[in-house]
Amino acid sequence: MTKKHSVLLKEEKCEGCTNCVKGCPTKAIRVHQGKAWIKEDLCIDCAECIRACEYHAKYTKTDELKEIVKSNYPILLIPPSFYSQFNENISAQKIKKAILNLGFEAVFDVADAAAALSRKTLDFLNENSGSYISTSCPVIVRLIKLQFPDLIEMLIPLKSPVELIAERIERKFKEEKDIDADIFFLTPCPAKLTTVERAIGQEKSFLTGAIGVENIYKKIYNSLSDIEIDEEENELITLATIWGSEGGEQNILKSWQDINTLSVSGIREVKKLLNEIERNNIAESIKYFELTSCVEGCIGGVLNVINPFQAKFNLEQRLKKIKELSQSEKLDINKNDDDFYNFALPDEIIADNLSKLDDDFKKAMEKLEQLQKEIEILPGLDCAACGAPDCKTFAEDIVNGRANRSDCIFMLRQQLGEMADDLSNLANELPPVMGSKKEESDDS
Amino acid sequence: MPLQKQQILNKGIESFDFQSGGEASSNLKNVLRKLGVSAKIVRKTAIITYELEMNVVIHSLGGEITAFISEDELEIRVDDEGPGIEDLDKAFTAGFSTASDEIREMGFGAGMGLVNVKRYADQIDVKSSSENGTHVKVIIKLAS
Repeated sequence: MTKKHSVLLKEEKCEGCTNCVKGCPTKAIRVHQGKAWIKEDLCIDCAECIRACEYHAKYTKTDELKEIVKSNYPILLIPPSFYSQFNENISAQKIKKAILNLGFEAVFDVADAAAALSRKTLDFLNENSGSYISTSCPVIVRLIKLQFPDLIEMLIPLKSPVELIAERIERKFKEEKDIDADIFFLTPCPAKLTTVERAIGQEKSFLTGAIGVENIYKKIYNSLSDIEIDEEENELITLATIWGSEGGEQNILKSWQDINTLSVSGIREVKKLLNEIERNNIAESIKYFELTSCVEGCIGGVLNVINPFQAKFNLEQRLKKIKELSQSEKLDINKNDDDFYNFALPDEIIADNLSKLDDDFKKAMEKLEQLQKEIEILPGLDCAACGAPDCKTFAEDIVNGRANRSDCIFMLRQQLGEMADDLSNLANELPPVMGSKKEESDDS
Repeated sequence: MPLQKQQILNKGIESFDFQSGGEASSNLKNVLRKLGVSAKIVRKTAIITYELEMNVVIHSLGGEITAFISEDELEIRVDDEGPGIEDLDKAFTAGFSTASDEIREMGFGAGMGLVNVKRYADQIDVKSSSENGTHVKVIIKLAS
């Protein structure tokens, strides 16, 4: 069985409150019989429910380190955001060495592919008219597939940095050393993990698996003090490490060329922006949108350990250091090894088409009418006690046969009241024949 | 028997109500998605409705927007209470706008409103007079 999502429910911890239901940007959660179930088709792995849950009933299951290191030739890919989890005085080498010591054969920086992708993106934007949206955040791509299908054509048809580097390394080890490497990603978010099983725009991912930062952070952190490295060595990481935080990608593009870009982070804000784009209320002169689901970008990923504010500062400090060491203020615009990357997304990104009430137009019309009637009947308080996030969504569930009107406590109370009235009327009703006889006898 | 046109939206629009401006467009978009209308048509409709809605907010004394649908087409009607468009030909000229500086500072009034509506609509009919206000009827064909 292929698992569809990486955000899961720990049933025994769920109290059946509706915080996650209310907080879900795609209305994918319903509380049913006291537990908050995620509707798989609607989930985009944004992890907002993990953030919203006070009982820690929502979680992400990533691969286990002990299983990973058992694989044939484990390689770990480090995202730029991971460096935000450490003070800038802990060198990148030291961090990488600590990871190698966990049992990996090799480690690589995703930021190298991010640098190459930035160069490719600039070329693409210069060669194509129109405006484009970054495809690097899988949550945003899934959100567009689900809720903004008419904007799919704006998604830049290039692979994400993780996939780019995974593909390149897999090929490199095969061709140069005849090794079938198992490539894992050190992920800051559940969405990247889901991509391993459900790749977007390509048949399959080049990753074997992914492990959450929180799963190995402590091990890495604790071993740092025992690691000896030549402090004279350069940082050896690219300025593209800035990709880990919001605006990183656009900063690199802007450092090369005066280009109109816009960067927005946080899924709620991104949804607002996409709405404005959809109705042409955003200037067409903006060529590129860098959108990330997590506030502050990948450093705000839910699997990170350090809070996003400190992480942002840490990353800024590290970049300052990289700039000093490399004696350069900006990333190289030319690098000939970019040819080794295979940038183009092979497959079309397809809309999910889940919002329609029925495949048949006439039936959908009938359901729409029913829906409007239900909405009028329901109290409109959006209390979520029925288990749906609001009355409109609940009405849709009723029309689709997935909920009963009496799941609404107000409707239930009304029904009970009516029943009680009926009962009392029934109880007080006198048998007509006896009643008339009695009256007669009274009169006499 | 083909379906009669059915009303799927009716919403009042108040003059200078920028807070709610855009709601009719959003509502209509959601309804069309529920009916399984194609992404391209939904986009067209969102753009057209938003333009017309904001025209009422910006230029008129208030009005209403109504939408009807049948299997083949969507009809959007926008009726306002005046003061009417002085020169209809000019209103359909790219870049022409009577919007105040204040409105322009808000990012509106680029003079592309009706031009864009015409570009995306399959049919457009505008009647306007100072006595009866402005009445726009737009048809969008659903077969894409």
